[in-house]
Amino acid sequence: MEKRTVDMQIIGDWVEPGTRVLDLGCGQGDLLAYLMQTKGVAAVGVDLEFSRIAACVRRGVSAYQGDMTTLMRAFPERHFDRVICSRTVQELAEPKAVILEALRVGRALTVGFVNHGFWKNRVAMLLGGRKVRNEVYTTAWFESRPANPVTIADFEDFCAAHGIRVARRAHLAGNWRDPCPLLPNLLAGYALYDLTRA
Amino acid sequence: MTDDVEAAPSAPAAARHLAPGDVGLVAPRDFAHAAPFAFRGGQVLPGFNLRYETYGELNAARDNAIVICHALSGDHHCAGWHSPADRKPGWWNNLIGPGKAVDTRRFFVVCANVLGGCQGSTGPSSPNPATGRPYGAAFPPVTIPDMVRAQRLLLDHLGVAAVHAVIGGSMGGMLALQFAIEYPQLVRRVLAMATTGRESAQAIAFNEVGRQAIMQDPAWNRGDYALGEGPRVGLAIARMMAHITYLSDASMDRKFGRRKRRAAEAEASAFDVQFEVEGYLRHQGQSFINRFDANTYLYITRALDQFDLEESAGSLESAFAPVQAETLIVGFTSDWLFPPEQNRALALALLRAGKRATYAELATDLGHDSFLLESEELYALVRGFLDRPGTPTP
Repeated sequence: MEKRTVDMQIIGDWVEPGTRVLDLGCGQGDLLAYLMQTKGVAAVGVDLEFSRIAACVRRGVSAYQGDMTTLMRAFPERHFDRVICSRTVQELAEPKAVILEALRVGRALTVGFVNHGFWKNRVAMLLGGRKVRNEVYTTAWFESRPANPVTIADFEDFCAAHGIRVARRAHLAGNWRDPCPLLPNLLAGYALYDLTRA
Repeated sequence: MTDDVEAAPSAPAAARHLAPGDVGLVAPRDFAHAAPFAFRGGQVLPGFNLRYETYGELNAARDNAIVICHALSGDHHCAGWHSPADRKPGWWNNLIGPGKAVDTRRFFVVCANVLGGCQGSTGPSSPNPATGRPYGAAFPPVTIPDMVRAQRLLLDHLGVAAVHAVIGGSMGGMLALQFAIEYPQLVRRVLAMATTGRESAQAIAFNEVGRQAIMQDPAWNRGDYALGEGPRVGLAIARMMAHITYLSDASMDRKFGRRKRRAAEAEASAFDVQFEVEGYLRHQGQSFINRFDANTYLYITRALDQFDLEESAGSLESAFAPVQAETLIVGFTSDWLFPPEQNRALALALLRAGKRATYAELATDLGHDSFLLESEELYALVRGFLDRPGTPTP
């Protein structure tokens, strides 16, 4: 099974059928197309690039080209049943503002990210002395967008400090497939959170 | 919009209409609606005519129609050539044709001159049956919804059961949105570009300057003038001014810069044409008066100013409440007449109303007229919107 498929499946499991979903940083609409097929959701994506919006249009996914915070501010509280922030949170200029705004317009928020506390990532830095590269971080530093190397521990602290309730969490091992129940900040390569306002 | 759409310069002049991807030679037709037609304002015409063109064939299910809506100064001739000698093809020839983004092998394309227009549809320059002279200022005030309702009657006449998409830029975008609001059962997709749910003060202001130029011309005579006569100076000035609002600082600079006409130094007067941009605008004004009626200009700019989806329904969301169509709104970064913000607002309101809507924004420096752009990116977007799986077969 593809790495991408596992996290899409978990995200999909947390989505109620027929609900209204917003995907922050929707790219070409892969995830939303999947959720439309499997869950019959009413989907909207947001992304910055014209070519990605055009790709969404081709597959019938509604999408908004522009800034995600501007988009969310245009909606009333709890307009969406779920907001999804998959593999995007680490690249946000103001992650806290986006997460809080997502919890305003959405009844629930899914966040998925690469755990930079994973031991291999620590070792890569410690012994290799090199920037982490994997399926999410595919490029060298000089051709990468600015990114926050967030860890599971960081994220848990953030939620606790901001009164965000963690309804569900999924920690995946270094292969991004198998569950990782033990010492996730050290042993999990990938993390998914299902959040609501406390 | 401007008159700048030119045929590909590489094609030999004699056979441009035979170029692959072109609909070729086309001829306009007339739809005469013989029953009374009530305008929103309450006034009634005994009937009306719409001049229109179609390309492609209506399929057996009668659900592959694409309605093209033109802008203020546009007309029904949006693709192909009226004669091999034509200098230019229809105004959206780059978008419409066999194999093009709006593929006439698959779709039945309909484009009509709007009610109130002057290119063959009934408008202020049409004869008033009561007097035998042109209606002039006695023509009923026409609105965007009036134009749409008249076109609906044309679609019924053509036997169209479902509209695959309504497409338009600028005023055409307003018509496209209005189509989806007025006829939710009929319209499956809307593609509105460089448009707005209501004009800003700036856009109204530009229209007002154009109207004043016309009305201050003594030849306007309160709208009462014979065919082929009228406020030619005023109309030309209105067009020159409006034309600037369709372009951008960057595109005018690229096209003209400060280049001067060669003979400029030798001109008799200091105020004859010196810069190329002046000559260009004068030419635009002059060519416009030969094809456009000043009263239609007044009526249609008024219709644009009056169009206000928010006011008509209390809010944009309420205005869009009936919409069933999937909507694609496209804004252009350099459009300062109907700027991206106003296009974005439409998409956001549709989404708030729970509709399927997409907003895409193209970075161009061509101003408002960018929607006529020859852009592979734009073509791919339009094609993707129209051709998704599940679209009707020819």
